[in-house]
Amino acid sequence: MVSKEEIEHVAKLMRIEIDDHVVHIDRIQKMIAYFDILDKANVESEELIVREQTIDALREDKYIPYDGKLIENLKNYKGSYVRAPKLV
Amino acid sequence: MSGHQSWFDLNLGISALKYIEEIKNGNLTAEEFISKTIERIQKVDSKLHAYLSINEQAVEQAKSIDKKIKAKENVGACMGMPISIKDNICVKGTKTTCASKMLEDFIAPYDATVVSKLKAEDTIIIGKTNLDEFAMGFTTEFSAYGPSKNPWNTEYVPGGSSGGSAAAVSALECIASLGSDTGGSVRNPASFCSVVGLKPTYGLISRYGLISYSNSIEQIGPITRTVEDTAFLLNIIAGMDPHDNTTIDNQNENYLNDIDSGVEGKKIGIIKEMTHEGVDKQVSAATNKAISNFEGLGATFEEISLDMVAYSVAAYYIITATEAGSNLARYDNLRYGYDFDSEGYEFNSYLSKARKNFGPEVTRRMILGGFVPSAGHAGKYFLKAMKVKSKLTAQVNEALKKVDMLIAPTVPILPFRFGEKIDDPVALFLVDINTVTANLTEKPAISIPFEISGGLPIGIQLLGKSMQDKMLLQAAYALQNTVKLPEVPI
Amino acid sequence: MTKIGLEIHCQLTNLQSKLFCSCKANYREFSPNTNICPICVGLPGSLPMLNQKAVEKATMISMALNCKTPEKIAFFRKNYFYPDLPKNFQITQFDAYGPTSIGHDGKITIEGKEIRIRRIQIEEDPGRLIYEGTSEKTQIPLVDYNRAGTPLVEIVTEPDFDNPKQVRVFLNILVDLLENLGVSDPTLEGALRADGNVSVEGGNKIEIKNVASFHDLEKAIHFEITRQQSLVERNIPIISETRQWDDRRKITISARKKEEEQDYRYFLEGDIPWVKLNSDHFKKLREKMPESIASKRERYVEKYGITNQVADVLSSDKYYADLFEQSHDEKNAKEIANIITTDLMGFVDTREKRETSKLTHQHLTELVNSIMDNKITRNSAKTALQEMVSTGKSLIEIISEQDLDYVSDESTISSIINEVLNEEANAVQEVKEKPETVNFLVGKVMKKSKGKADPSMTLNILKKKLGIT
Repeated sequence: MVSKEEIEHVAKLMRIEIDDHVVHIDRIQKMIAYFDILDKANVESEELIVREQTIDALREDKYIPYDGKLIENLKNYKGSYVRAPKLV
Repeated sequence: MSGHQSWFDLNLGISALKYIEEIKNGNLTAEEFISKTIERIQKVDSKLHAYLSINEQAVEQAKSIDKKIKAKENVGACMGMPISIKDNICVKGTKTTCASKMLEDFIAPYDATVVSKLKAEDTIIIGKTNLDEFAMGFTTEFSAYGPSKNPWNTEYVPGGSSGGSAAAVSALECIASLGSDTGGSVRNPASFCSVVGLKPTYGLISRYGLISYSNSIEQIGPITRTVEDTAFLLNIIAGMDPHDNTTIDNQNENYLNDIDSGVEGKKIGIIKEMTHEGVDKQVSAATNKAISNFEGLGATFEEISLDMVAYSVAAYYIITATEAGSNLARYDNLRYGYDFDSEGYEFNSYLSKARKNFGPEVTRRMILGGFVPSAGHAGKYFLKAMKVKSKLTAQVNEALKKVDMLIAPTVPILPFRFGEKIDDPVALFLVDINTVTANLTEKPAISIPFEISGGLPIGIQLLGKSMQDKMLLQAAYALQNTVKLPEVPI
Repeated sequence: MTKIGLEIHCQLTNLQSKLFCSCKANYREFSPNTNICPICVGLPGSLPMLNQKAVEKATMISMALNCKTPEKIAFFRKNYFYPDLPKNFQITQFDAYGPTSIGHDGKITIEGKEIRIRRIQIEEDPGRLIYEGTSEKTQIPLVDYNRAGTPLVEIVTEPDFDNPKQVRVFLNILVDLLENLGVSDPTLEGALRADGNVSVEGGNKIEIKNVASFHDLEKAIHFEITRQQSLVERNIPIISETRQWDDRRKITISARKKEEEQDYRYFLEGDIPWVKLNSDHFKKLREKMPESIASKRERYVEKYGITNQVADVLSSDKYYADLFEQSHDEKNAKEIANIITTDLMGFVDTREKRETSKLTHQHLTELVNSIMDNKITRNSAKTALQEMVSTGKSLIEIISEQDLDYVSDESTISSIINEVLNEEANAVQEVKEKPETVNFLVGKVMKKSKGKADPSMTLNILKKKLGIT
């Protein structure tokens, strides 16, 4: 069983505050416990199948200025910059 | 404006193709139909809550399309038909909330590619539909703005996450809708609300403008009342997009041509793991009936076993939580989001406070998404999930060498009441057991409304080969024509 | 033993557009937040569209550093929260499923020492933060997203350096190499940045971040070695950590709180299918690759008999090398090389001067051919060269305007010499006693002719007139 402390630690890393502590942790523990089913899948030697494309399919290197006034529609836009909370 | 019919014979239940025919014949104007649709929404949506917002300019837009029609100018193929859009797809200048308080004030500054394509064909975007927050759920109960109801019985969930879209199409609040399907989010509510829902081959439809939940497996898909309408919409919205690196060239396939080709000589595999254990007996009976209807049309059947299906839901939740944990990291409320001042906060504590606007399910998935791919756990969870995905893909590919397509009920159980499953996450997991395979293997799959059992809809799912969406639609059309379903009671 | 490794970030400044969108790669000319779009600001629903040229340029860097290149490259997400990172993850490369970065296991040799390249990866630059407010506690970060999404190539070395001097030599060579490849302009502020890691005998590895320039990195490494050695001497254990370079105080300081964020949860970026690089791709790029600096140097020495020292200077600076390549032929190569590395260097020694210079390769060819045909002295040539750089005028125009014709007419020189001999009686006497002082008189003649007299002819006539050998 994944410990309560570990779940709280991960929540902090994800910038998530858990209010309804017990309920959340209980449900998350149940979900993670369910994932243990994968231990029986016997897929360790399986090769990953990935999507591929050729280099020709990639975007041509061309400068096209964006035509909208993006910055003015963003929040926290002060002067010319977006303000962020202080880092210390 | 003077109509050719009095409003009470105007049938909001017509298909998209019929609508076009009536407009072309001059029996109907876009304005009449839009006005009537808005009346309908006003009448039923207080009970259903399919919509999160309504396009206030819809009637004006309809008038201008009528004007073009009258002047014999070029008019797009949709001729003003009302289509709704799931509220996780961007429509320029409108709120796109993902049914989350986190994006309460987010106004999309651009149109999703599918929306641009619909607008170019003179579609009227009638409104934005409800969903489980950020599309994470199967009932719409996780919408931050309250759940949608099933038009067949409002005490029942409409399915999800595109529950608002399916309810709106089912309850004649629009002609068609676009949803998104990450693990069944189009097909599941289509099944629960007795409408058609397609999850196309991964890459067939551009995801540009779809707000990502689990980007490597999800697709936008049409929800309609007939299979032909799905084919019609696919003609408009499918194809390569210079804004989405994962789109595939479909050679401008016409999905509506030869839709009546039938299933004579087609081989269909019955997925063993999706048709026995845990399947409600009414659902099982409906599936058997669908199989026998197909047989009557000349298709043959064999049972196919895909043992990886047993692990598919776990793999699905691990992959989606990982991708969602990353995709939703950008919601830090610094550039867009909702009203909450950062003054006086330190960066990390501000983020943690701001992100409290995520609802409970998203909160849990964020934590799962931080846990399963983390350095200490990726080997046990994320990597194994990716390998299950690969092995399942190999198994489905192998099966589709033997047969043309696969069949199973869309959802193994009947629609259920509100609150019935919400408290048991693992029980809720198993609702998706029949739908996640198509997402994990990139295959097209469609849910066809097949039966109403005790007043509750049952849908049948067909799963086809990659880029053979057309064959799937032909079979779905054949099955659709073997049944006559009652009209929606609302 | 001291071990130093480097992580170098090189912006692909010569591209037109950013790594995943069509905004401009060179963001420097824009006022804040005007070179942005939904993709580079990470708006919901936007998707990355990988720049084809970025993959090509990165492949060239990989090949130039003798790396192995995979058949397929993959992109990953590196997840962390920071205000300059609009999506709160960075799209980069990683080798979770075998080598899928654009290069791995390369090497280059500097002064006989082999430096191994561990990995080369393509990634996006974050935005830039500036700070409002004075004290550290109240500083409000202001974000400019213009730089967000700028194409970067990260080059990671093994810890193969023994001392900061090797680091400097390596970085100098690397800068020349990247410039020669035409992938990056090292004179642009922030185009090339490097972090380092340092460990001394008996201690753990320390990462140094936040270093603005290569020059500062050398200082930071110096500081770290001294700091760590003094800890070891006092038996204080060195704990593995990340330290920031404080540019103001010229010291490194511990970057606290970083530890908890070390788990970046790398996983595949599903929006970018793996890119197949077939042999045609490599063949095409190999044909497009400019000649390497080493090969140019060798050619200059062997084919044209240019001295090692001149060939070194000429080959390692792309601006000079390009001028040389365009202007020379078999006959004049050596003289052109000399003019570039002696006279021209003084006139175009900064980025600004190079940008405003009006000198063309035709100018150089014409000028050197005139010297070789004895139409103009080297002295006059230098004057003309300066004029060409500042005005772009042709040699003929400059000669006629400034009266720079070459004087190789014996009677004219002879009459100037006579004047000088009359004026410099004392010097003449001295030369007769000490013939090696004759250059003083040559100089006087040159001066009187305004530099136009043929120096060797002048010397010969002088010697004849004074009866010395």
